[in-house]
Amino acid sequence: MGILEGIGTGFSVALDPTNLLYVFLGVLIGTVIGVLPGLGPTATIALLLPLTYEIEPVTAVILLAGIYYGSMYGGTITSVLLQLPGEAASVVTTFDGYQMAKQGRAGPALGIAAIGSWIGGTVSVIGLTLLAPPLADLAVEFGAPEYVALTALGILLVTYLGTRHPVKSLCMAALGLLLATMGQDLITGTTRFTFGQISLFDGLDFVAVAMGLFGVGEILYNVEQTEKAQAVKSKIKNIWPTKADFRASGWPIARGSVMGFFIGVLPGGGGVISSLASYATEKRVAKDPTRFGKGAIEGVAGPETANNASSTSAFIPLLTLGIPANVVLALIFGALLVQGITPGPQLISQEPEIFWGVIASMYIGNLMLLALNIPLVGFFVQLLRVRAGILAAFALLVTMAGVFSVNNDPFDMWVVLIFGIVGWLMKKTGFEPGPLVLAFVLGSILETNFRRAMLTSGGEFSIFFTRPMSGTLFALMALVIIISTVAGIRRRRQRSRPATPGEEDLAATGTTAEPEGTPGAENTDGTATDEASAQSDSGVGRDRS
Amino acid sequence: MRRTRSTWPALIAASVLTLTACGGSEDAGTEDSGGEAAAEYPTETINLIVPYAAGGPTDLAARTIGSCIEEELGQTVVVENREGASGSVGMQAMIAGGNDGYSLSLIAVPASATNPLQDDVGYTNEDYVPIAAVTQIPSALIVGADSRFADAEAFFSYAEENPGELNVGVPGSTTSQAMELRRLAEEYGVEVTAVPFTGNAEMTTAILGGNVDAIFINSSQDVLENIDAGSFVPLAVSPPEPVDYIEAPTLAESGFEELTNSVSVFGLAAPTGVPDNVVSTLEETVDTCLQKDEVREQLGEQYVPDEFIGSDEFSTRIDEIVEAYGPILQE
Repeated sequence: MGILEGIGTGFSVALDPTNLLYVFLGVLIGTVIGVLPGLGPTATIALLLPLTYEIEPVTAVILLAGIYYGSMYGGTITSVLLQLPGEAASVVTTFDGYQMAKQGRAGPALGIAAIGSWIGGTVSVIGLTLLAPPLADLAVEFGAPEYVALTALGILLVTYLGTRHPVKSLCMAALGLLLATMGQDLITGTTRFTFGQISLFDGLDFVAVAMGLFGVGEILYNVEQTEKAQAVKSKIKNIWPTKADFRASGWPIARGSVMGFFIGVLPGGGGVISSLASYATEKRVAKDPTRFGKGAIEGVAGPETANNASSTSAFIPLLTLGIPANVVLALIFGALLVQGITPGPQLISQEPEIFWGVIASMYIGNLMLLALNIPLVGFFVQLLRVRAGILAAFALLVTMAGVFSVNNDPFDMWVVLIFGIVGWLMKKTGFEPGPLVLAFVLGSILETNFRRAMLTSGGEFSIFFTRPMSGTLFALMALVIIISTVAGIRRRRQRSRPATPGEEDLAATGTTAEPEGTPGAENTDGTATDEASAQSDSGVGRDRS
Repeated sequence: MRRTRSTWPALIAASVLTLTACGGSEDAGTEDSGGEAAAEYPTETINLIVPYAAGGPTDLAARTIGSCIEEELGQTVVVENREGASGSVGMQAMIAGGNDGYSLSLIAVPASATNPLQDDVGYTNEDYVPIAAVTQIPSALIVGADSRFADAEAFFSYAEENPGELNVGVPGSTTSQAMELRRLAEEYGVEVTAVPFTGNAEMTTAILGGNVDAIFINSSQDVLENIDAGSFVPLAVSPPEPVDYIEAPTLAESGFEELTNSVSVFGLAAPTGVPDNVVSTLEETVDTCLQKDEVREQLGEQYVPDEFIGSDEFSTRIDEIVEAYGPILQE
């Protein structure tokens, strides 16, 4: 099937009234939860996952994808108006967006974010349309060693790049890998860590673990916070940006689209990392970098474009390799598995309507978001009046009913509750659930492929280095470790000396960025945001010196 | 098998009458009625458990036969997916549902029979009675289109000369395919390395990408499509007799007389102690259903057994599998 023919199939699927409704629902829910601080895309998708089992697989993915990229739009609104990022990827938008709002330019900030997001999203879908099919063809050649390399690289990048505390993340990833070993061993058929419980024969249910850690953990954490209704003081007028705004934002949007697209493909790259990278780049190329942090529209346009572009391109590894690039994609992976569909290189040829239908829905969804956002900003802001306690109680009810419905097994409800408490404790102690969940998903792929590789090579480790693809990937991993170690040492040595412009920003991203899908509630208490802006400010200071 | 289709309307009428006349009778069966005749069957909703995921081949078989039974017997058949632990969770649920004939399950032999041999899975092969086979799907040994092996003989003679060198993908480590390969090594001295995968999609990718030398796979619809498209070349099939829709000799014809057990049979089962008349009613209904064109088409014409496999024959089939694989699994 050619790309044109594929897109044709896709639109015929996506324009089906049911699917159209679900695209709309998805982007609407996404925008709403993007606005509500404390319910990020990860928590929401985790909570809604079981509800998707009753609908067609393609419709389910269309809905979940809509929530994901929709939340990227929604998160902007509160970042700009209240300096409260509704989800993690919008943290950067608070730097300049909130300043713009203070100067009475909230309208153009939101307008340019919506337009940039639309362009970024659309550019990324076009990239996905063109690149995914050849990539899937290439991926058919991938054997066990390549999958080992890819999953190991994924775990490495997620724990190393996207986190505040690499050591804590590594601990969490290790825990995730350990949890992944529970259940029946695929290679020998023996059972491991099942404690004689039949419910544990297939290991812990991913959906239950994710719902617990993200959903319930999140809810508990939010309930603990003091409730206060948010009031928006700034008036929103003149959403449509001026000609000067467009001129200033043109290149940042173009760069943000391309950068977001490529970063999104990397494991752990979706969302926050892309927006931080875009912000750092814009600041570096700007004629007057001192304007950043004081209401520069480029600082809103670039990152907002990039985070939306990356949330779309993050679908590439899932749809072509069957490897989720971040936690949200891991949840969508789980949704497909439950529907009896294993995403992988065969997906395009065997389930073309899913592959192309989801892609086509993204074109439509991005358009809907643009149409929704420009006139309805005022309405979405009113959502902030919903009290967290009411939301929490409702969300918990949906979670418990939902998880029971997956396997009709009360055992899973206990898993959710236990992991909910674990997730809450982790949040309190600064351990991130993201690396754990991603390592948990990737762990079983890693293990079975490692052992398959060992079986086929007769126990020779050289199989990982002699094959061109896996060899390259392992070399890349070594490079990542060396560079980040060297950079870390240098940073420590040069703490007082001036750094090259821009580098400090990236260093700051390393410390402030959270892995994709880290629930936005992290920011409700304001600490993360303050920390981020403080570090960015110090970065600015050093740039000037 | 007697053709009894014409009697059904009468039976339905009779069962409706019993339902209204003696509403309490349906509870009688929940006690251990151990093969005694229940009054009338069915008088209430039948639960048909599928121990595997919705959308899979077992699910298709269950839903197709379930809706036909519903039509024939005039009682609602509720199909429920209870997946987990290679089907053991569903089997437990079926047994827990009582042996009055209203708790049935779709079983997938050999898995349903081999699971309890390997682990404590909460049931044994004495806890359920097979009723009738719905579909049977043979396995096929398949190579890619550009394989160096043109036929089974070339493949097996190379494997014999180079023990363990050929990698053959199988759908899981305790599947009949994996066990047949072990018997191939132990009983015939032909050793290949079995590489376990999960599901047909993964195995298809592995053979198309040239990452294994061959796959030994359930020849479900997707596999037949790949054979037709020319991307899969079948070398041998697993049943005792050749199948007319895959052009390849049987393993038995290729010199391995004993290797005839790798055939997946999906069929109905009930908990042990289910009344005899329930078994015979269901046997007859399934037989009737399997002759309907629309049912055959939904199930895949080629997978419906040529000769109806009833309770006794199905039991014999399971006993053979237990005998063949038991010693390997209990090692």
